[in-house]
Amino acid sequence: MEKQNVIEVNNLKKNFRVKEKESGLKGSIKSIFKTKYQNIRAVNNISFNVKEGEMLAFIGPNGAGKSTTIKMLTGILYPDSGSIRVLNIDPTKQRKKLAYEIGTVFGQKEQLWMHLTPLDNFKFFGAIYDLSKEETDKRIKELKTLFDLDKFINTPVRNLSLGQRILCEISASLIHNPKILFLDEPTIGLDPVVKQSIRKLIRNMNKKFNTTVFLTSHDIADIEKLCKRVIIVNHGKIVVDDSMSNLKKEEGTLEEIISRIYKGEEKHHEKVLGNIQS
Amino acid sequence: MRKYWVIYKANLMSNLQYITNIVANSIGYFMHVFIFIQVWNYVYNDTSNLIHGYNKSQMIWYVIITEIICCCVAGRSLVREICNEVRSGNVAYNINKPYSYIGYLLFNNLGKSTIRVVVLAFIGFSLGLLYLQTIPEITIIKGLIVLLACILAITINLLFLIFIGLLAFIMEDSNPLYWLYSKMILILGTLLPIEFFPEFLQPIITFSPIYAISYGPAKLFIEFDYNMAIITILSQIAYVLISLGLCKLVYMKGVKKLNVNGG
Amino acid sequence: MLTEVKNQLKITSLSIKYAIMREMLNKGTFIMKVIFMLLNDASFIVQWIILYSIKSDIGGYTFEQILLLWGFAAGTFGITRFLFKNAFSLSDHITNGKLDCYLVQPKNVLLSIITGESDTEALGDIIYAYILLFISGVTLGKLLLFTVLLIAGSIITINFAIILGSLSFWFGRSDYIADTGNGLITNFATYPDGIFSGIPKALMYSLVPIGFIIYIPVKLISEFNLLYTIVILTVTIITTILAFIIFYKGLKKYSSSNLMMSKI
Repeated sequence: MEKQNVIEVNNLKKNFRVKEKESGLKGSIKSIFKTKYQNIRAVNNISFNVKEGEMLAFIGPNGAGKSTTIKMLTGILYPDSGSIRVLNIDPTKQRKKLAYEIGTVFGQKEQLWMHLTPLDNFKFFGAIYDLSKEETDKRIKELKTLFDLDKFINTPVRNLSLGQRILCEISASLIHNPKILFLDEPTIGLDPVVKQSIRKLIRNMNKKFNTTVFLTSHDIADIEKLCKRVIIVNHGKIVVDDSMSNLKKEEGTLEEIISRIYKGEEKHHEKVLGNIQS
Repeated sequence: MRKYWVIYKANLMSNLQYITNIVANSIGYFMHVFIFIQVWNYVYNDTSNLIHGYNKSQMIWYVIITEIICCCVAGRSLVREICNEVRSGNVAYNINKPYSYIGYLLFNNLGKSTIRVVVLAFIGFSLGLLYLQTIPEITIIKGLIVLLACILAITINLLFLIFIGLLAFIMEDSNPLYWLYSKMILILGTLLPIEFFPEFLQPIITFSPIYAISYGPAKLFIEFDYNMAIITILSQIAYVLISLGLCKLVYMKGVKKLNVNGG
Repeated sequence: MLTEVKNQLKITSLSIKYAIMREMLNKGTFIMKVIFMLLNDASFIVQWIILYSIKSDIGGYTFEQILLLWGFAAGTFGITRFLFKNAFSLSDHITNGKLDCYLVQPKNVLLSIITGESDTEALGDIIYAYILLFISGVTLGKLLLFTVLLIAGSIITINFAIILGSLSFWFGRSDYIADTGNGLITNFATYPDGIFSGIPKALMYSLVPIGFIIYIPVKLISEFNLLYTIVILTVTIITTILAFIIFYKGLKKYSSSNLMMSKI
């Protein structure tokens, strides 16, 4: 049976108007009276599809438009033009309906209450997704075994190590059994051992629940170990959309191949886009 | 001493970039003075009226001056920052620096206040002149003495705020003390001159820091008197020493505690 | 629809509960903060006792009415900071991309944001408000009316803060506008409106809705008037609708953490 598309993106575009400001006092005063704007094409005509159960790496250099794309797919940002269907839902029109179906982890932003234990947090998130008490308890039990949370499920989050926290973030985002999991740099700042175990858990989860995984990361090993397909964006455009095995056929290590692709464009472009952080 | 001058200058310059902060601060000051002009306008039936020895114009100029001294210091955030530094243990990084932490805080914040004083004074004097069309008569020498008294007043205020922030070494959260301190300065010193309070309170206020921080300089501005100038400056010098001593005492105690706990 | 509202209320109350819990981890500090806040508010009485010893009416208010004025000022300040503190830092949330984690949840974004933090010492303000009501003379009817008007005033205050904060969707870093506007309410709330006239007074019943939050309620407690009560409730509803419309209009312009200055 042909697998269904769970994400369909067509001609997606997003520009940012960025204030230009000269440095120093003179610049500050000037910008009060006359603000100059610069238009930056963060996402410039992107189209792709993702199939159910797929693990996709969505990568690119800083400022390439990865996070902007993820944020549009999850309903955080409004696109300027183009169409998005995630599980046949338009994120711009039915943000709440989509939210019940997807999970998100932003490695650099905490979604948990720091002073509560992971258990209380999971219960809170259960309530957010309108799960009944029984459903929540059952789900917590599942996640507890899958992610091995037993040791610290009753310790306030602020007392956990970074690795344990990320595990809890991922678990919390899975409480409602989402069909797609968006992971934005989930392993940032973690030590190699923790990274490895997190990768293993993501793989297990994908096998067990057939969850589609949409991953961005700067960690080559993350991408190599988890994903069969890679999309590389640069300057807001897709430059590569291929299987991992095809990409690896190129000369050198995966890191070298990816670096070459990142550098493949004209230099002055990079300066402009470097101003936007993803 | 030169390094403190450098600290002062660096903060004076860097503060110039946060124009929006200065604007917000000025609007707050403007509102306070505006409200008080309305209050006194209502209370005084006519301009020749005297209440506790003050006419309407003197009352309003009194508030214009005391509010400058009060508003030019970002007390809340200063106390909060010190509190956080102490509680997080970051204060330990200042121990091995080649300057005194208290001196650093003082000159850092004097730098921040300087630009505010200039802007607030401009607003205050414009409002006063526009509304009252008179200004207390004052010579250049007397004006300079008032200015010196104002600088000393701001210094004492900053030192007390630093002291309150450093009290976080002893108590978990010293922010509530700041509320009380700032209210005391505001109500007993900024809004009303000492003569307005019940007689039993007057000597207490006279000997408290309030005289040195707000009443002294403002009263000198509206009614200069050499005897009072000498008393004001002397009391201010005394309070600089007292507040500095308090800061040093808490800091030394706190640092000892840090050493025991190993930061 | 009904279950949706029920679930939303559940989340909102949980969110408020957790935010308060976070601040009350240390009970001793919490109690000290509340008591200090009470003292802080009470200290202003000194100023008014002195002013009233000079003149028996200030801005057309009796001393009892000044107590009520302070009651409404402290009460609305307390309720809004205790339950909805983040409404006052909405601008910061918008410009620094802090809306992201609420936007991926299937709940009302605005409610989730404003209930995310609590100023627990503001409980002192709320207690002080009721102490003043009791000092100024209270009946059961006045107690009820005071509470209703306090809640209405708090909602208007929050709506005003949301509208000001939402400006950041269009103008970027504009927290100083919101801070100034919110400061305007706090500053003017504790002075009788009779001392103002002309444009400032007109503003208080329009752009800066302090008249509906403080001044009319004070008069209503002294002398009940059905029409004015209806006016206040209408203003409460209209500003709520307005706040939601403006926030959600702005949300379409939300740019997460991508809004940055590029230095040249």
